[in-house]
Amino acid sequence: MTGPNTILIIDDEIQIRRLLEITLTANGYKVLQSGTGKDGLIDAATLHPSLIILDLGLPDAEGIEILKKLREWYSKPIIILSVRQSEDDIVTALDYGANDYLSKPFRSAELLARIRVALRASDNKKEAEILHFGTLCIDLPNHAVRKNDEILKLTSTEFSLLSLLAKNQGRVLTHQYILKEIWGYSYVEQTQYLRVFVAQLRKKVEDNPSKPTLLVTESGIGYRFGE
Amino acid sequence: MKPTKGIDKKSTSQPAKTAGHYAFSILVIGITVLICIPLSSNQGYHVVSYLLLSVVSLLATFMGIGPVFVASALSALVWNYFFIPPNYTFHIDKAEDILMFGLFFIIAMLNGIFTTRVRRQEQLALERENRTHTLFQLTRNLSKASGTNEVLNVANAEIETHFGITPYFILQNGMNKLIINPEKKDSTFLTEKQHSIAEWSFTHLQKAGAFTQNFTADENTYIPLPGAKITPGVLVYKAKEQFSGNKKTFWDTCITLIANALEREFLEEQAQKARFLDESDRLYKTLFNSISHELRIPVATIMGASDTLLNSNNSADTQAALCSEIFTASIRLNRVIENLLNMSRLESGRISARPNWHEINDLFNKVTEDLQNELKPFNVITSISENMPLVKIDFGLMEQILYNLIFNATQYAPVTSDITLSAEHVNNFLVLKVSDNGPGFPEDALPCVFNKFYRGTINKTGGLGLGLSIVKGFVEAQKGIITVKNRETGGAVFTLTVPSEKPDIEHFEINEP
Repeated sequence: MTGPNTILIIDDEIQIRRLLEITLTANGYKVLQSGTGKDGLIDAATLHPSLIILDLGLPDAEGIEILKKLREWYSKPIIILSVRQSEDDIVTALDYGANDYLSKPFRSAELLARIRVALRASDNKKEAEILHFGTLCIDLPNHAVRKNDEILKLTSTEFSLLSLLAKNQGRVLTHQYILKEIWGYSYVEQTQYLRVFVAQLRKKVEDNPSKPTLLVTESGIGYRFGE
Repeated sequence: MKPTKGIDKKSTSQPAKTAGHYAFSILVIGITVLICIPLSSNQGYHVVSYLLLSVVSLLATFMGIGPVFVASALSALVWNYFFIPPNYTFHIDKAEDILMFGLFFIIAMLNGIFTTRVRRQEQLALERENRTHTLFQLTRNLSKASGTNEVLNVANAEIETHFGITPYFILQNGMNKLIINPEKKDSTFLTEKQHSIAEWSFTHLQKAGAFTQNFTADENTYIPLPGAKITPGVLVYKAKEQFSGNKKTFWDTCITLIANALEREFLEEQAQKARFLDESDRLYKTLFNSISHELRIPVATIMGASDTLLNSNNSADTQAALCSEIFTASIRLNRVIENLLNMSRLESGRISARPNWHEINDLFNKVTEDLQNELKPFNVITSISENMPLVKIDFGLMEQILYNLIFNATQYAPVTSDITLSAEHVNNFLVLKVSDNGPGFPEDALPCVFNKFYRGTINKTGGLGLGLSIVKGFVEAQKGIITVKNRETGGAVFTLTVPSEKPDIEHFEINEP
């Protein structure tokens, strides 16, 4: 993609929009703004932003409804930025296709990091076959994982779990999503199994399993593969 | 309560008893006459008259006037017919016999009258005693009853027992208005018109309804309850009769007693309400003062620092320092807001724990990460017991609990000291401990550290005094308990215990493809 990435902000609070505009422009993004959900939908359709930052509490519509409408055709990243911080709200937004969720008040550095991750993921659409993360190397076609050039013995479930998270690096995957992808629909409530496998996997791939940097817990929501 | 015998039910078997008395007196006279027949032949007929007279007098001591009269008439006639010559006639010759004949009646009458009078006195005394006993019982029950409802229960029961009527009390609301209870659609339910009669009786302090001078057409009787200072309400009942004499006095006394008890409860409740209002007023003021302080200080910092940034030429170092101040102030502001929101969630009862499986390690990492700036000057030690299973906890609540406890520790403990975080799993309970090497709590303050608005004596950054009460609320929302102790080596240790079963993961391993 040529030129700066354009980011559309859909938020009714002008102060937040201004703050985001200053921060994002300073970091080399082009910023578009809409104050209502309706305008946001039109702007998204006509201006083709590379990423959308969406507030959930809009004056004219529920942000979740806007998210659903956007996701009918918009395939680029959407990051939710909202004062709502209950696990339910976050999980719902992620389940409806938001790439990430940040609650207000937020730290600008955190937001910029999430934007970078989301944009990178959407740019690298064609998937690499061998993923490198520091000393860890995941060879997807050969189902092989190496750490410091040593082959790790992973069960096939562990491998599926690791590669699922790694392929979505930086993105939060909800418990339900991971359980559904790896074990199937009937296991979506069995978060304890997921916990057990993540703990096993951490012991094998993390440098320090008690301070994980690759398989990062998003409390109450899911896991994110660290950068 | 043992119901006392009703005084209006005292003589249900009276007619049967009287008939028995008549039969008995006739029988006694008959036997006496039979005994006297052989006696009169050798002792003379006057002896018979003395004997009969004695028997009649004896009967008069325990029988009513009727049977005694029958006994005396019978003895006079029998004596006259069988014993006075000429025998088997009612003819009397001698003046002394005529005198004796009359004497039978006079003595019998006098005896009967006196006995009846004595017995009537006895009866009255008994009734009086009954009434006194009942009043005593009523007074005792009323004074034992606490709360308007209990007083009403006692009153209802006593009135039903002693007067056989079902009372219905309408009380006032504290502002001299009767409380109309339209939901109460039972037998005592009153029509709107009847309610207005009750209102009238209440405001005019006059009886109304049946057997009174006002609104006589109504089937109910309405009596304003005569309190000493206020009128607690109105008594409504369906009167069957108008009480009179002693019974009326008794009724009035009962009503006064009940009214006084209701008034007592009423005034007590009002005093309590006033105390409560006073208390909440005090709380409101404390809250208002500390909130305005806690909000203003960071806002002042942000305004001041940003103003300096905008209006003067600052060196890069100064700019960075000011920005850092703004950042710190905003984090503090955010903490105040979080605590206020959490408190209001707790107060409104909208906190319900939703436990799910988590690793304790994740919890400790999250909290220490969130507090990394505050924890920088300290030596943080985390210890998790070996073989710690997954725990079923509400991560969000737990995180807030540990955040507040550790944040508290950072506010009181001296820099470079240890702040220890430990976790173990004992008998399906998760036990977490947060301990520091600060000054601990004054011994007398230990019981109230979890109270709302409790604040330590040495306080670096003010604070609302809500942190620990939120901690307690969140622990209790998870059916857990939290305790605080001073450590022997100095500092405080908070121990929280929440139920957490072990996960059942056996069969899942088998499913491994």
